[in-house]
Amino acid sequence: MKKKVHLLSASVMTAALVLSACGAGKEAAVLDGSKPYSLKYVVNQVGEIPTKGNEIEKAIMEYTNTDLNIQWIPASAYDEKVNVMIASEELPQLIKLGYNPTTIGALKNGQFWEVGPFIKDYPNLAAQSEEFYQNISVNGKIYGVPLFRDLGRATLHYRKDWLDTLGLQAPVTLDDWYNVMKAIAKKDPDKNGKDDTYGLVFDKKYNQEAASTLTRLAVSQGAPNKWAVDEEGNFTPEFMTEPYFETMKLVKRLYEEGLINQDFAVVDTSEIDKLYESGRAGIRFSGGNAQSWQDKVIKNVPEAVIDVAPVTGPEGRRLPGETGNAGFLAIPKKTVKTEEEMKLILKFVDQLMDPEMATLLVKGVENKHWKDAGDVTEVLDRDADLKEVKPYRDTMPNRNENYNIEKLAKQPDLFRKSQKFVKENDEFIVPNPALTLDSAIYSERGKELELMTTDAQTKYIMGQIDEAGWQAAIEQWKKQGGNQLMAEYKEAYLNINK
Amino acid sequence: MKQDKTIGNRLFDIINNSLLLFVALACSLPFIYVVAVSFTSPAQVAQGGIILFPKEWSLSAYRYIFSTDTLMRSMMVSIYITVVGTFINLVFTSLMAYPLAKRHLRGRRTIMMGVLFTMLFGGGLIPTYFVVKALHLTDTLWSLMIPTAISAFNLIVLKNFFQQIPDGLEDSAKIDGCNDLGVLIRIVLPLSLPAMATFGLFYAVGHWNQFFNAILYINDNTKWPIQVLLREIVILASGRIGDTNIDDAEIQPLTIRMAVIVFATLPILVVYPFLQKHFAKGAMLGSVKG
Repeated sequence: MKKKVHLLSASVMTAALVLSACGAGKEAAVLDGSKPYSLKYVVNQVGEIPTKGNEIEKAIMEYTNTDLNIQWIPASAYDEKVNVMIASEELPQLIKLGYNPTTIGALKNGQFWEVGPFIKDYPNLAAQSEEFYQNISVNGKIYGVPLFRDLGRATLHYRKDWLDTLGLQAPVTLDDWYNVMKAIAKKDPDKNGKDDTYGLVFDKKYNQEAASTLTRLAVSQGAPNKWAVDEEGNFTPEFMTEPYFETMKLVKRLYEEGLINQDFAVVDTSEIDKLYESGRAGIRFSGGNAQSWQDKVIKNVPEAVIDVAPVTGPEGRRLPGETGNAGFLAIPKKTVKTEEEMKLILKFVDQLMDPEMATLLVKGVENKHWKDAGDVTEVLDRDADLKEVKPYRDTMPNRNENYNIEKLAKQPDLFRKSQKFVKENDEFIVPNPALTLDSAIYSERGKELELMTTDAQTKYIMGQIDEAGWQAAIEQWKKQGGNQLMAEYKEAYLNINK
Repeated sequence: MKQDKTIGNRLFDIINNSLLLFVALACSLPFIYVVAVSFTSPAQVAQGGIILFPKEWSLSAYRYIFSTDTLMRSMMVSIYITVVGTFINLVFTSLMAYPLAKRHLRGRRTIMMGVLFTMLFGGGLIPTYFVVKALHLTDTLWSLMIPTAISAFNLIVLKNFFQQIPDGLEDSAKIDGCNDLGVLIRIVLPLSLPAMATFGLFYAVGHWNQFFNAILYINDNTKWPIQVLLREIVILASGRIGDTNIDDAEIQPLTIRMAVIVFATLPILVVYPFLQKHFAKGAMLGSVKG
């Protein structure tokens, strides 16, 4: 009688296994070019996932002679999934990695090819500025090709109509900032009879990560970008420098006088966007382009005029340099066994930046996504561009319209002006000297340490601690690992710059 | 039922009712807000004008989310794993719980210890992944149903539930010529309907909310359940997850995000009231009539 129970469960189990069907066998790589090279490419998803075998993928496969198979992973869980793939050694031929402790560990373990020495053999890859590659280096070695992004993206966007009404200019010094902020908040530039407008609006990430508003403001005033380093290799975090502290003091004053949003410590970026787009806030640091703010704000405030200015301080243009990449493409040794095969993949990556491919990745298919309009190109269907082209534009290497693109797209003047400043920014960026430095305590407790100081900053700005309290927080930070972090950065820095 | 209308009683009623009303509102208002936003025109939302009732009705968000078949396809995947997965859960859980409820089963304690052990110590992410991979379950929907076929906690509760069923019932069934499986299917399970419905709902909600396993085990994006999509659409907009290239990404408008949430919640919300009554029944309906 018991047998029947076993029989039932056993048959269900077998059915499950049979239905699951085994995975396809491994294909042997063809290196001589007689057959398309079978290439699996793992990237993060951007927006909707394009259907397999669409026109763009077909064009890439034809041009590069590959049998391309792209696996998209949701951006929200990308790192976890990649960690599992690395741990289980279930890797494709080409994978997008982020610059984080786990991947750095895997790179150090030699699980990926070091491509640095080969870059010079590939014309398109070699044409890109050294800095892009330096920014993804691990112990001075380069393990991939970055997904290029602008190095200095910060520009200042502002409501020109407001500043004109108030008779003001885009702010330069901290005093300017105070005056502009006060005027916008108190002098009612939108003429609705209420004090319901702000200048700069802060969100809860105002002092974190690459796009930190506080860092952007402070750097313009002469502060370092996250870390300062002197000739002997001594590292000092930005928050221990004078210009940064002055900037913090300004923000504290703005908060006390109600000139910035009082809920800044808990507010999401998307909430902030709403304030800007509904015409309630007038000035912001932005990595985007001014035109998109203009387009959005006129839906709510038809008379709004947006303008853009470079980030400028008392010492002229100065802005924090960013990583210059949205991750990088690495080649696992597990799946790509020979140097020959690795070179084939590098060639594929290089080919993606040829003029024909660059145009395809940036603009899409001619006469479907864009058309030739004399001196410029025109986007034919914005929706199709976002749904069908953007996923490739964001996940395959290209320099947008800055490299190997024959004709620029037709764009409003404001967009071009934004772009111009971003391009010029390369000359004015302040690099972060600790960006690629190796530090054990950072990989272990970096976030925790950062949280100590960013929290203390918020408390200081909100008046919960005074200057002595802030100094105490710095001492605390030093004791809990800050000193070690500074020492480790120094050591790593001296090792590389010997 | 007749009640004493003393002042104390009335006061208690008033306080009690208003407290419950408050809790009920606190639970449902956010969802009502989400529904309202999803039906409002995007321009209205940008101005921040809506509170609980849209001023300008609009179906544009829903039109947008149904403009491609991605969402529908994921919905089908979710429905599939919920229905089939829950069925598998119930079959396996009851098949294991029933023998464990029998005192005469040899090795019962050892097996129970084994079950308890898995509740306290898990294999960890990577080893589990290896097991799933070795069974060739990766990239199939089975990977979302088989590894979670039996929840140790539910198993134990169900076992205890089965133990409450009087032995006399089964004895009489056996005298009438029923075998063990027959007793389970004809006598025990029909008596356990409320329990089965309860666990079915637990399991079903679990399957419906399936997210991380899907990311882990499924590479083919056409097999993603709805939660993966949902999280992608909602998280990308609110957190911006610190990725440097999100800054210039087109963020989906709030109305669309809300519409997706409503769409993803609807099915489970529709099913819930029908199963809910079984909760109320709670314990078994005892009777030793043959």
